[in-house]
Amino acid sequence: MSGRGLDNGFRLLGLLMIGVIVCFLLTPIAVTVTMAFDARAYLGPLPPPALSFRWFEQFFSDDYFLRGLSTSIQLAVASVSVSLCVGVATAFALDRASFLGKEALISLFLSPLIVPPVVTGFALLLFLSHMGLVYGFARLFCGHIIITVPYTIRATLASVAGIDRSLTEAALILGATDRRAFWDVTFPLARTGIVSGAIFAFAVSMDDVAVSIMLTDAKTYTLPIALISSMRANFDLSIAAASVMLMLVTLALILILDKFVGLNRVIGQGVFR
Amino acid sequence: MQPSSETVIEFRNVIKRFGATTAVDGVTFTVGAGETVSLLGPSGCGKTTTLRLISGFEDPEEGIIEIAGESMVGKRPYERNVGLLFQHYALFPHMTVAENVAYGLKHRRWPKAEIADRVGEMLRLVQLKGFEDRSPGQMSGGQQQRVALARVLATRPKLVLLDEPLSALDAKLREELRLELKQILTSVGSTTIVVTHDQNEAMSLADRIIVMNRGRIEQQGTPDEIYMKPRTAFVAAFIGRTNWFHGRIAGASDDGFFRLTTDAGTSLAIPDPGVAGGGKWSVCIRPERMAVTGPDAKIGRSGDNLLPGKVVDVVNMGAEFQYIVDGAEGRVMVVEANREGPRLRTGDRVSLLFRAEDCVVLPQDGA
Amino acid sequence: MKRGRDSLPLLLPAVAVFLGFFFLPLGGLFVESFRLYLPGRIGSAAEAPLTLANYAELLTPAFAQFFFETMRISLLASLAGLVFAFPLAYWITRSLSARWRAIAVGFFVTLMFLSVLVRTYALELTFGAAGPLRPILLSLGISPNGRGYIEILVGAGLLHYIVPMATLTLLGTIQNVDPRLVDAAQALGAPGWKAHLTITLPLCMRGLLAAFLFAFTFSISAFVIPMILGKGRVLFISNLIYNRFSEIADYPSGAAISIVLFVVALAIVYVMSRQVNKRWNS
Repeated sequence: MSGRGLDNGFRLLGLLMIGVIVCFLLTPIAVTVTMAFDARAYLGPLPPPALSFRWFEQFFSDDYFLRGLSTSIQLAVASVSVSLCVGVATAFALDRASFLGKEALISLFLSPLIVPPVVTGFALLLFLSHMGLVYGFARLFCGHIIITVPYTIRATLASVAGIDRSLTEAALILGATDRRAFWDVTFPLARTGIVSGAIFAFAVSMDDVAVSIMLTDAKTYTLPIALISSMRANFDLSIAAASVMLMLVTLALILILDKFVGLNRVIGQGVFR
Repeated sequence: MQPSSETVIEFRNVIKRFGATTAVDGVTFTVGAGETVSLLGPSGCGKTTTLRLISGFEDPEEGIIEIAGESMVGKRPYERNVGLLFQHYALFPHMTVAENVAYGLKHRRWPKAEIADRVGEMLRLVQLKGFEDRSPGQMSGGQQQRVALARVLATRPKLVLLDEPLSALDAKLREELRLELKQILTSVGSTTIVVTHDQNEAMSLADRIIVMNRGRIEQQGTPDEIYMKPRTAFVAAFIGRTNWFHGRIAGASDDGFFRLTTDAGTSLAIPDPGVAGGGKWSVCIRPERMAVTGPDAKIGRSGDNLLPGKVVDVVNMGAEFQYIVDGAEGRVMVVEANREGPRLRTGDRVSLLFRAEDCVVLPQDGA
Repeated sequence: MKRGRDSLPLLLPAVAVFLGFFFLPLGGLFVESFRLYLPGRIGSAAEAPLTLANYAELLTPAFAQFFFETMRISLLASLAGLVFAFPLAYWITRSLSARWRAIAVGFFVTLMFLSVLVRTYALELTFGAAGPLRPILLSLGISPNGRGYIEILVGAGLLHYIVPMATLTLLGTIQNVDPRLVDAAQALGAPGWKAHLTITLPLCMRGLLAAFLFAFTFSISAFVIPMILGKGRVLFISNLIYNRFSEIADYPSGAAISIVLFVVALAIVYVMSRQVNKRWNS
């Protein structure tokens, strides 16, 4: 085959692969959304003959799910608030100080991102039981802080490091004390990083299964745990309805992120584990 | 404004080290009220550190820094009433132009109405009236620099520091803004220190230039003194273009001039070196102080020097011509104003004529 | 810096959080992994004798099988992810207008942010034994409950996260490759595919390795995906740890498996980032 023929062959193959993979990525989402609105009471072939909100109603009439949802939201708000404060303080301190082993310390602070969450969860389970902490919400709270705090540290650190030092110096020479310069200049300019850190942390907390499943008790469980256990029990389409709502939450978070931070910036600050 | 006798800043025997390197090594100078002084030198000469010591971003290891007679030991930047214009403007990107200019006033607790008046006055001064609500990101480099200047001057600082004020701008804009900067500084009568590595900036803005090298002051003086009477080879080489001749001093001659025998064996008339001869000396002369004449020219009067040579290149710089001439003493550059086109072509045989009074005699480096 | 020291107390909350919720528990986990298993307790007794039995057990073929399986599926899914993500990222950076590129980036960020649970459920609903594909699968002679199909399904679950993540990682990498280099290679006579093979691909190697590292570490510590899509027939190491705890309450054994997984994950990150830094940071 000629070089040109091969070129066209490769181009075609590439486009084909792109088509296949985009279909693969989108089909499950489309199927789930469709089925969530399925009016039938059983799993039937697609497309559904009629649409309804019955699965959404069923989700909201199920106490088991609602308790999970309420725990999840409380947990996310509480743990993200704490890890945001801790993360912001840490990032500012790390940015201003210079000492031997600073890079190593940063790696340590980011290490929960590499340690498999199940291991973190299992270690916490043993440790907290040993300490005599049996209260479910408190245990989940500890677990969610440790899995979210690396995100807030990293995102804040990335944005603080991007602030030109001469801006702080300009504030100082214009008469601002160190404290004022921080609140007038550093903090507002780091806001994008703080916002994206908070959003990441919120998403991670809302989605976590591996750590929560270890720390959950019979009365205190998160929405993902509730969904997973009913998923294994029976195939109930109110889970599809819940999934659709979680998709909307994701979409909302992304839109907030895009509006306040800009998605390209977010990628720069590291969305990855 | 004429410099008065009142001293605004006194810098005495200041030493600042960073690890093993001494960035500022026993520097002493003063700046009087209304004076504009330039700290000039290559990067790493200690000029920026000197600026940061004055602003309070660094603390000296030794020595005394006084502003308006008050010791600056332990004073934080916000306690010094010093204005600093940053190289890259350092405008707060999340504040409007007006908020930027008002920032220093707010921290001095000015009443709101007075702040508004002062901001308006400052923006008029830098010709940016009407830009109050712009964000700095929407402005050109030159405009940003003017906002930064307005922000610095708004608080009426005792001393204004300019850090490479024009280096971030392109060449044409730099020239325009340089004139404007000088007018503004003169009109508000501020005491100013300009840190720069650009000799044109230093020469045009400053009443007095302090040339620094390796943490030390090489020479202080008016732009004219620095240019025409450099006291070290470093100063001569750093400022302007220079032709060099090296050799030994042969002694005084009857006409009041001294003679220098160059390494190539030529005898040149030079002014009195001031110090007893012996050792190796260098003679420098500015290219525009040399003239090119016909190859058969003869020495007319005592104190004239005449060197034969051959033109190897003619460079048209627009306003002037540079003739590059090779002779027994090596390569020499002569500059001539462009009045009626080039008088010479490559390959022409010529003589270079220059006066002993225009030469500067310096002990050779390391001698 | 003198002033930097003033802010060091700000590190105290983080130090407390990391010690209390992370490093001490990991230390406890390490100790626990050497305790003798006594049934019927949460955590071993403090006076339980020390033993290596929990680790010895992992060397038996039955256990080693789980590790092998996790590695194999993770590796294949990560490689497949790169194979699909590369043309995708290339296409987005080189063929799309700025506007569509922004849309594509938004699309993939959303996909990556999507809850793992939701995507897993969606895959199960679509490709699982009860899903709409069932008749097609059966007509092709594929049993939706067969082990091979379940393994593929677990891999597909991993792929559904890896592809958006790797695509976003590679976008920046490909953007940094000067397209004129390929033009130059082609002007010098190389056909397009060869120009890409000898220019684009080597220049993207660092990004590819980084994407692989993300993908592989994500995969080997995956929990929800194999738990739901594996239906108990394909178990990852993470699931094994959970089962030790939830089914037989054998904490020391769970701790030992955790320590091994921990060491493996850290070793992979360490070795790979060292390789990347050694080759590209000089």
